[in-house]
Amino acid sequence: MTTFYFGRLVEMFPFFLSGLWMTTKVAFISLIVCTLIGFVLGMLRANDTFFFKHLIGVYVALARGTPFVVQIFIVFFIFPEWGLQLEPFPAALLAMAIMGSAFICEIVAGGIASIPKGQWEAAASSGLTKVQQLRFVIIPQALKVILPPLVGQYVLLIKDTSVVSVIGVMDLTRVGWVTVMRIPEGLMVFALVGLLYFAISYPLILLSNYLERKMAR
Amino acid sequence: MIEFKGVNKWFDKLHVLNQIELKVQKGEVLVVCGPSGSGKSTLIRCINKLEPIQQGEIVVNGMSVHDSATNLTKLRTEIGFVFQQFYLYPHMTALQNITLAPVNVKKIAKAEAEKIGREKLDRVGLAEKADAYPAQLSGGQQQRVAIARGLAMSPEIMLFDEPTSALDPEMIGEVLDVMVSLASEGITMCVVTHEMGFAKKVADRVLFMDEGKIIETGKPADFFDHPQTERAADFISKILSH
Repeated sequence: MTTFYFGRLVEMFPFFLSGLWMTTKVAFISLIVCTLIGFVLGMLRANDTFFFKHLIGVYVALARGTPFVVQIFIVFFIFPEWGLQLEPFPAALLAMAIMGSAFICEIVAGGIASIPKGQWEAAASSGLTKVQQLRFVIIPQALKVILPPLVGQYVLLIKDTSVVSVIGVMDLTRVGWVTVMRIPEGLMVFALVGLLYFAISYPLILLSNYLERKMAR
Repeated sequence: MIEFKGVNKWFDKLHVLNQIELKVQKGEVLVVCGPSGSGKSTLIRCINKLEPIQQGEIVVNGMSVHDSATNLTKLRTEIGFVFQQFYLYPHMTALQNITLAPVNVKKIAKAEAEKIGREKLDRVGLAEKADAYPAQLSGGQQQRVAIARGLAMSPEIMLFDEPTSALDPEMIGEVLDVMVSLASEGITMCVVTHEMGFAKKVADRVLFMDEGKIIETGKPADFFDHPQTERAADFISKILSH
């Protein structure tokens, strides 16, 4: 029986690949967006302007302190009531961006905060503007602190994309659910799903470990 | 050149600068000393607006430092600042440390900036260290690179905040030598230091602070040998005895 189902699973493999492709797409686009927004917010948060610091602080606390599945429901089911109706794919990206940016913001702000105040002062004393201080002096040093946890966060975010299946995005996880209705061999189906996630995550885990060792030197 | 007019500053309840009146002439070498917590570092950090003030005014080269209309970049390019902890940029070579501001603030061409940078490194006796990273340099060498970095903008004023306090004793001399030769070149200098030898040799004036106030000012010989106030006498005896 198991062999029979295995044959069916092999037949359905292209379906899994399309799920893998969707997961990769959601992950890749949202990681880029999250990184950009996260860095901008992190830099603003490390600044001493009271307003930004606290506004971003509230956003980060909300985004980090509520489950992603709740956030994605709000984006997909509640935003339309406020006039923003989105298809599942863009809704998934938006929800990922809101959640992921908050985590990356914290990593970036933490990295910037680890740089001695004197580095800012030395750069400021020589006439560099705030943006130049960040660009030439602070960020290059902070990257050493930021990169290892950032790549670690990428791994977490990739796995979090599985939640987008709840609003109908045909990603790897949803492919698993659909398949298991036709092939009642749950272990086999979800082992394959897990394996495919692992195939994307593991290289990043290795990269994170490598960066950690390298930056520690 | 530098003028403090009724300057007051508080850190919360602590009155760190108490009604400061001070004029520093062009080319003058001023040494500021006093016990720790007396406000001497804060005093010079206000000159290039590393610190805000709550009352009064500081005027540098006709620019009101804490006026928000003042071009802060222009002000700061006219003032070099040397920190106790050097604060070289660790990810850049000595030469890159020096050329960063000339290239990005003064918009000098890179080749020209590097030429100036090498001159300044030569000036502090470190011509051969242009490509060394800060971590490869001794404390004394790092501080001399930091001085070269300050000089690269051709400032009219150099501020030194305890430039030798973080150094091993055997490296203090090399840094002071550079500062002595700067003093003879007519740059206006404000130096927070307890190095009496330096003060006696090059200072035009010594200023003694305690609890945020200027207690006493005078020529170095007069100040060290015949302090007018008890507090200054007490302070001098303490730095002499160690």
